[in-house]
Amino acid sequence: MESVERSVRSWLASGKDTELDETVSGIINGQITLVDVVKALGQYLTSEEDELRSKGVDFLSSVLGKCPLDKLNRQAVRVLVAFHCSKLEDTETITPALKGLAFLVKFPPVEPSDASDILSALFKHVKMKALVQSTRFFVFSIIDTLLVKHIKALRDMGREFLDGYVGLAEGEKDPRNLLLAFAIARVLLTQFDISHKTDDLFDITFCYFPITFRPPPGDPYGISAEDLKKALSACLSATPLFGRLGIPVFLEKLTAGSPTTKRDTLQTMTQCLPVYGAPVARDFGRKIWSSLKLEILQPIDPQTESEALSTLQVFVRTIQGSEASSGEVAGLAKDICEECIAVLREPEKAQAKAAMKVLCAFVTVSPTLSQFAISQATQHLVSLFHNPDEVPSRPAVIILLSDLVHATRDASSTAPTPPSRMDNATTDHVPLQPSKDDLLGVFTVGLKTPSTVESALRALQGMVTTTGLFTDEEFGFIVHAVDELIQGDNVEDISDNALSLLSAISTTAPHHVADQILPLFFSSLPDRAPVKEAQDERAAYWRALSALSTLCVHPALFEIFVVRLTTKLDLLSGSLSGPGQGSELETVPAYAHSILTAISKTLAAKVEKKDADVPKYVDRLLPWLFKLFINASLVKAASLLLDPRLLQVAGRIISLVVETLPLERQQRFTELLFGAYLKGDVQAITDGLLRIPSDTPFHPLNSDATTPQRYTVVLFSAAVVSLRKEITLPVENLGTFLELITMWSDSREAAQTQREAAWHILASVVNKHTEEPGISSFLTARLDVYWLTALGNRDATADTRRHSISLWAWITKALLVRSHPISSQFVDRFFELLGDDAVDWDAARAIGGLGSGDIVLTKRNFAVVKVLHAQKFFNMVLPRILEGAKVCDGSRQETAYLVALASLIDSVPKATYRTEMSSLMPLLLRALDLPDPTIRASIIATLTGTLKDVTSDSTTVSSYASTLVLAMLKNCMLADSPEPRVRTAALRYLSLLPGTVRYDLLHPYKSQVLKELAKVLDDPKRAVRKEAVYARTNWFKYNG
Amino acid sequence: MNGEIFNPNPTVFALSKRSGRKSKFETGRSLWIDNEGPLEQTDDSEVESIDQDEIFDLIRSIADPEHPNSLEELRVVSAEQIDVGQNHVTIEFTPTVPHCGMSTLIGLSIRVRLLRSLPQRFKVDIKVKPGSHQSELAVNKQLNDKERVAAALENPALVETLEKCLETAGMQSELYD
Repeated sequence: MESVERSVRSWLASGKDTELDETVSGIINGQITLVDVVKALGQYLTSEEDELRSKGVDFLSSVLGKCPLDKLNRQAVRVLVAFHCSKLEDTETITPALKGLAFLVKFPPVEPSDASDILSALFKHVKMKALVQSTRFFVFSIIDTLLVKHIKALRDMGREFLDGYVGLAEGEKDPRNLLLAFAIARVLLTQFDISHKTDDLFDITFCYFPITFRPPPGDPYGISAEDLKKALSACLSATPLFGRLGIPVFLEKLTAGSPTTKRDTLQTMTQCLPVYGAPVARDFGRKIWSSLKLEILQPIDPQTESEALSTLQVFVRTIQGSEASSGEVAGLAKDICEECIAVLREPEKAQAKAAMKVLCAFVTVSPTLSQFAISQATQHLVSLFHNPDEVPSRPAVIILLSDLVHATRDASSTAPTPPSRMDNATTDHVPLQPSKDDLLGVFTVGLKTPSTVESALRALQGMVTTTGLFTDEEFGFIVHAVDELIQGDNVEDISDNALSLLSAISTTAPHHVADQILPLFFSSLPDRAPVKEAQDERAAYWRALSALSTLCVHPALFEIFVVRLTTKLDLLSGSLSGPGQGSELETVPAYAHSILTAISKTLAAKVEKKDADVPKYVDRLLPWLFKLFINASLVKAASLLLDPRLLQVAGRIISLVVETLPLERQQRFTELLFGAYLKGDVQAITDGLLRIPSDTPFHPLNSDATTPQRYTVVLFSAAVVSLRKEITLPVENLGTFLELITMWSDSREAAQTQREAAWHILASVVNKHTEEPGISSFLTARLDVYWLTALGNRDATADTRRHSISLWAWITKALLVRSHPISSQFVDRFFELLGDDAVDWDAARAIGGLGSGDIVLTKRNFAVVKVLHAQKFFNMVLPRILEGAKVCDGSRQETAYLVALASLIDSVPKATYRTEMSSLMPLLLRALDLPDPTIRASIIATLTGTLKDVTSDSTTVSSYASTLVLAMLKNCMLADSPEPRVRTAALRYLSLLPGTVRYDLLHPYKSQVLKELAKVLDDPKRAVRKEAVYARTNWFKYNG
Repeated sequence: MNGEIFNPNPTVFALSKRSGRKSKFETGRSLWIDNEGPLEQTDDSEVESIDQDEIFDLIRSIADPEHPNSLEELRVVSAEQIDVGQNHVTIEFTPTVPHCGMSTLIGLSIRVRLLRSLPQRFKVDIKVKPGSHQSELAVNKQLNDKERVAAALENPALVETLEKCLETAGMQSELYD
């Protein structure tokens, strides 16, 4: 008891929370009771002095706030309720008393009678206008709590409660309180009998509509306009009683409001109309429609238009509600349809498009309405189309019908499959069915005139993608129509729309495309490569190939495609396998390359779609490919076929097929592959297509292999890279095999393509088989021996060492992506090279490249890739690079570190260095002075990346802003940076600065930037000029 | 703008295709189909001069002051109506209706866009298509008189409207990237 008195005294003096906590813990462990507290406060609670009295009550309230809910008995609660209510009369104690009540009502012993007592006292004594926000908040939270716990008692209070509450809530302005008030209002509107108070409740809710609140900057309460909007619209849509009062308000706001208000109103209407119900909606029907019509037919912006359309849908659905079952369209919905169709009389006008949008919106409302809208619109437009006086409006008619077709298709595909209806179950399954013939007629006529052909194709596309609309015969008819269309002019000039129409048909009815369309294209492929000067023919064969490659994705078509193209290449290979002469040197391989590219494009699309027929091409396509190239490699003289570009695209085809093979099939393929490349058994891999004479053995991996044979390793590599990691490679010792590949790639005869192929093999095998015997000794041998003889060997030529660096980088990367511990030793060696004048920049670039992604070590190729490996690598090397770059003595080594930094930053994901930006910035700016254009471009790209990134803080950029502006201006001048790439990058950076940096920081540079950029507008490169225009526009708009 | 609407229901046209420039493969400078990006395949020393399509790209997406459509959609401007000489550009535009009171504003927005985006060596003439506007001469005079243009750009309300039309001017090029 004494301790309580002491706490009270010292709290009154100091106001420290510790005193409160002490008292509360006393109550919790039972040493003191609340009665003790009241006694201790006794003199203060009744003190004559205003401040003491107020503080006394405040102490009690604060103790209540911290007191656990089970510590008060019924008796205490009753006393405290009575006490607090009595304190409401006193203007000095009203705030703490309300605070106390707000806590008190949460205690379970509070009974319904207490609830009504509290409320009566509130209504009697509380004058909201005299209280500050925080006190008003207590009032709202008291009512909110009571509504949750004692709703029945409140309901029994009837009028008194509602009247009282309206009195309290009226005129509230603070967003924090309003959030509570809206929640309370929602409960009142839905759970109380409000029929006699509708007007008042309407007043205290609708007066806030629409919410125009903008949170002040740095608002600590975090209440957004969106929160308020949501809470308010929950109130507005709470009861049908608001209908008659609310709709006029909405319509008024809709006509007079700003675009934001309009959108807000439309959204709220969409929510309210279904609640308000059909009778109200119908009564206000004409008015609602004429307001919505304005927003749709003369839209102020696309967003508002689409909001208005969705409101319209809800509105029509609401008024239809009861009529839907009658199966007839009448009343307003019908009038709206007819009105829109009247607008369609001028189909080329802007409003016709909007009217069609209305009709399209109707399609999803109900089956009857959809049927009505579709039939009316098609009837009208089709007759318009056939009217000889209206020929000029035909293009517009087709576009409108096409919109309708697409909307109908989307509506029926998104809607759940309609349950079989009792009445006419068969016909209206597909809404377009009744108008199908008319539409088909219009669109096929449309195919015959140039001005309508593209939109007719698009419309047909919409029809053929509607499931269940066409029969097989009709598909044939459409294909025939397209066939006639492309027969007319050059087959290869087929438009994208025609192609995608045919592709869409080919998924359901491939045989029509195969019979009617494909022969046309195949016959336009020449048997021999066009001569060098015949560029038109070349462009024509490529267009035909592209068209075929787009069309032949369906399994049945792809099969034909592969057969025809391989035959074509076999015909060509006569001239390919020879040495070639004159212009043939380039034209023939270029044609072959186009053919292979077409196959690989289609194959890639099929793999993307996960088509099941891809694996079987391991037997149908790959043996033939190997035959083609191995055969060419056996000739002594260089064959035209062994062009690196051709080999690469062939490799891509092999990779694509191999990656889809199941494990067991891959294993079998691997045996054949290694048999061919290591033992010279080409018969198996080519499926018997190729037998080789004994005097020219095939051993491409031997050190004395001929150049043509060496080139075929590109194919080998492409296959190895896509093998699963569970595959056992058929070699005695993996280490020896890799050693062989290393030697082979280091051979002086090796060409760059061959080397790269070898590096890919090394990386892929090291990554997938790290744990297997032989690999670890191979890796140790790299570190102990290879390092000394190749990379670290200063006697070797710089070229040789550069190759070794790349090889080293591939092995390191293979280890890094699986976070293998030995990788750090490999990385260390690169840092040693940074002091070596001959190869320092190469080593630096290699370090940077280690963090980048590549096409070999990917999940798709079954590589072992650990998450966050790039992050780990970055954290490992960044401190070392920063350390090295800080020397700042202008030495070569320092530059090498900068190069390493620039290429590192370029290759790792942005997230990895976001936090380091402030320490990186000065170094990057220094590196921007390096002469190397690649480095400059990549630094600028990095800087641009961080600028676009909204989450990174802009203070770093701001503090360097002026330096950055000048550096970028220098880099976008033709004289200073001859590489267009650098200029483009610099301009892009400049264009982003105004959006990121505060105006006052860059204000001094504005006129200079505008003047300098004016010169760049005359750049010889179009792409550069485009960026300059964009940047200059942004700077013009840059104002304080 | 609270004034009358001159053409409440204009005809909207489909957008024309991207410019008719040809790739290297198509013009026969390379026999191989390229997969590289547009920048790599251009030779560094080659000069690409400013052409009709480029200027059309600059102005096609300017918004119409009356409608939420671009000048291209309303066929106010088209590539064929642009003539580029060595240091001289002539642009013709077609108002949607002959009594269109917005014609000067449209012309001015074209003028400002080009002022900002073309090198200074170009002299730009902007004209209403002959016979397409009832006060053709007055509009042409206003648009091609340096002093008058400068005076118009001193008017803050007018500049604000202009900026609004120009807001969308860069959009086309981003869309196609």
